[in-house]
Amino acid sequence: MEEHNLNEKQNKISLTDRCVIYAVSAMILIFVTAFFVSDKKTFSENENRTLAKVPQVSFENIKSGAFTSGIETYIADHFPMRDGFLSLMTEAERCSGRKEINNVYIADDGSLVEVYKTPSNTQKQIAQFTKLSENVESARCMLMMVPTAVEVYSDRLPENAQYDHLQQKTIDHIYGSVPSSLETIDVSSRLKELSDNPKSERLYYRTDHHWTTFGAFAGYEAFCDAAGIKEVPLSDYEKEVVSKSFKGTVYSKLNDPYFGEDEIISYKHPDWKLTVTYEDTGEISDTPYNSEYLSQKDQYSYFLNNIHPFVTITNDAVDGGAIALVKDSYANSMIPFLLQNYHTVYVFDTRYYKGGPSKFINEHKDISDVLILYNMNTIDNDTGIGGIF
Amino acid sequence: MVFSSLTFLVFFLPAFLILYYVLPGRAKNLVLLCFSLVFYAWGEPIYILLMLLSSFVDYVDGRLQEKYSEDKFKKRLFLILALAINLSLLAYFKYADFAVGIWNGLTPFDVSLPGVALPVGISFYTFQTISYSIDVYRGRIKAEHNYLDYLTYVSMFPQLIAGPIVRFSVVQEEIHKRSITESGFVCGMKRFIMGLLRKVLIANQIGALFDMIRVADNISIVTAWLGLLCFTLQLYFDFSAYSDMAIGLGHMLGFHFPENFVYPLSAVTMTDFWHRWHISLSTWFRDYVYIPLGGNRCGRARQLRNIFVVWFLTGLWHGAAWNFVMWGLYHGILLTCEKFFWGKKLEKLPKVIQHMYAIVLVVFGFGIFTFDDLGEMGHYFSKLIGLPGNAFFGNEFLWYFGNYLPVLIAAIVLSFPVYPWLLAKLEGKSTYVRSAAAILGAVVMALLFVLAMSSLVRDTYNPFLYFRF
Repeated sequence: MEEHNLNEKQNKISLTDRCVIYAVSAMILIFVTAFFVSDKKTFSENENRTLAKVPQVSFENIKSGAFTSGIETYIADHFPMRDGFLSLMTEAERCSGRKEINNVYIADDGSLVEVYKTPSNTQKQIAQFTKLSENVESARCMLMMVPTAVEVYSDRLPENAQYDHLQQKTIDHIYGSVPSSLETIDVSSRLKELSDNPKSERLYYRTDHHWTTFGAFAGYEAFCDAAGIKEVPLSDYEKEVVSKSFKGTVYSKLNDPYFGEDEIISYKHPDWKLTVTYEDTGEISDTPYNSEYLSQKDQYSYFLNNIHPFVTITNDAVDGGAIALVKDSYANSMIPFLLQNYHTVYVFDTRYYKGGPSKFINEHKDISDVLILYNMNTIDNDTGIGGIF
Repeated sequence: MVFSSLTFLVFFLPAFLILYYVLPGRAKNLVLLCFSLVFYAWGEPIYILLMLLSSFVDYVDGRLQEKYSEDKFKKRLFLILALAINLSLLAYFKYADFAVGIWNGLTPFDVSLPGVALPVGISFYTFQTISYSIDVYRGRIKAEHNYLDYLTYVSMFPQLIAGPIVRFSVVQEEIHKRSITESGFVCGMKRFIMGLLRKVLIANQIGALFDMIRVADNISIVTAWLGLLCFTLQLYFDFSAYSDMAIGLGHMLGFHFPENFVYPLSAVTMTDFWHRWHISLSTWFRDYVYIPLGGNRCGRARQLRNIFVVWFLTGLWHGAAWNFVMWGLYHGILLTCEKFFWGKKLEKLPKVIQHMYAIVLVVFGFGIFTFDDLGEMGHYFSKLIGLPGNAFFGNEFLWYFGNYLPVLIAAIVLSFPVYPWLLAKLEGKSTYVRSAAAILGAVVMALLFVLAMSSLVRDTYNPFLYFRF
């Protein structure tokens, strides 16, 4: 008992202790209340993902622990002021001198660059690309793996950051492993060349994981070079800044207004006579752009109207030729540049397009070229890879 | 469930405390018991049965020992039976795979691995129930008559899954009658929050750094050592923070748990370190293994044997893998050497040298502790001395160090008793200065609490390190 008294004495409580403890306790109670009172969103615009639902109560779920871990995810996803907490954590880490926060490098110029993690699905990608190129009977198959900002802007990464060009090594590995019938396109060199030129525009958004329209044009140039197609120069296009308030996906990982906003530039060719058909919804448009998205969080969806399993674009200003794209969202901002070279562009998103594009390609003899286009950052987690055949 | 989660902090704890404080006397134990079972079942929905079984065995054993207290033989028999059941459960659920692995390595008769998943906290609660049965046998405590009260003690959520290892003798009185005061709540909550901050804002951050260094390919010698220092700091802050939170929660409920960590990284010798690190475990081994084996009373040879038995078991207690055994024996050897060879000489050296001596040995030891894959351990250790030809110093050190400098400084400073020192300094100051310091402290604590919440909401890295114990 003597020991206990000693304990009490050591833990003598002051008025300020009381104040802070009751303040913290009150804060906790406010959060409980807020959690139960607040409306639960199903989708986070900021993080661009569906939020967790209340897990189902079942014996199996409870036994396996899925129920309790589901509850924990649900609480974290719907926690009051979640976005504010994210900002606060980023701000605190930034102020403490951190140059890498939540898997994002803060580059010297203040732009945000996603960290590239050691890939684990490269073999599967090689197998699927090979399969598609073997299944396609007559058209020419090309592969373009686009490096992301971490590779192209590696010299702008914060001082001493540890990056040993793993992305380029992975691209080289993929290019070296696919059969020679699948022509590989070296887009890295073109992007790096532009990156070294101080006068060139930004190739990647400051706050998003995509390349800018200018970066996409560099991709188009690399494609024309490899495919032996005459490129239509950028000066032929009408340039328009369509947004100055773009906060991209990388921004969302940090959610700190300190990092500012991007502008989105859009190019239109004066000769375009387009019919853009979104086969899943039946929507038809005369432009590959949808400006409705510019007033939303996910502004990159301006290009090619977000996600669609299959899109057909025809340009009556061009006589013939057809190309099929098997691609991710990087292609969405590059496809507009292809429209002056092909009468028809078929666009496949294999996350949702079932049955494999090769069947369609073989049935349409007008298709002379097939371009597989993916960026290196998201491909490792891309659920659509299995659909490429 | 773990303390450092939103579920616990914002839902479980408030709901529990409100019920616990509102309901009258006897009902409090029932609330505590029910919430403790939910707490455990949250992470181990099946293995909770094992905990119920284990505690039931020792409860019955206590009653039987009491009933046959006159019959020495039977009393002893019941004790041995209880120990056998407890240790068998521990052996099967914790060491079966390890043992079969050794068997398969030594003999040509391969047995397939049982593949038993380790129930969380089993080593902690088994040691508690064992100490109960032995203490009843020794007559140090009276057997508990009420099973629910006994189960409340074993399953009590503050100390259930990561200690401290609280003996029944410490809380027996308080289980039945304890004073629950408002000042106990304030005190306990403060201690709890301090623990939470240490876990979330220091241990988790430094742990993330260690994980990066651990998997990095090319690291210089300096970075390799930084990595081990990071693991040491992570383990200390994580583990001691867990004890802080447990002790704080206990305080809120009217219990007084023993201290478990007293600035172990500020030790001057390894003997000193073990008087400060996981005290409830080292005293457990002292009282229930070392002394019963004869301690130091039966000659030098027996004492040496006893020391090594204790350290072999201490190592093994931390996990079913060879590296833990190596770690235990490493400490056993160092303690023996200090006892018989250089302990006296060390004392004569300057304090700074003593600190350096202890910290280097402790950090190196945790290197053994962290790699349960001996190949990986060898690879990492070779980088410590530059064997693969890695440079002494590289830019990557500046990257890791620069990114985490403030956290590292905070961790190192807080490894020493600066807080008591500050309080002592303030003692003699004017009321004005003391109030100003108190207000500043309170504001900083509130701000850091909000930051800890932010970190939990982002939830990128929040490991539970003792799942192996």
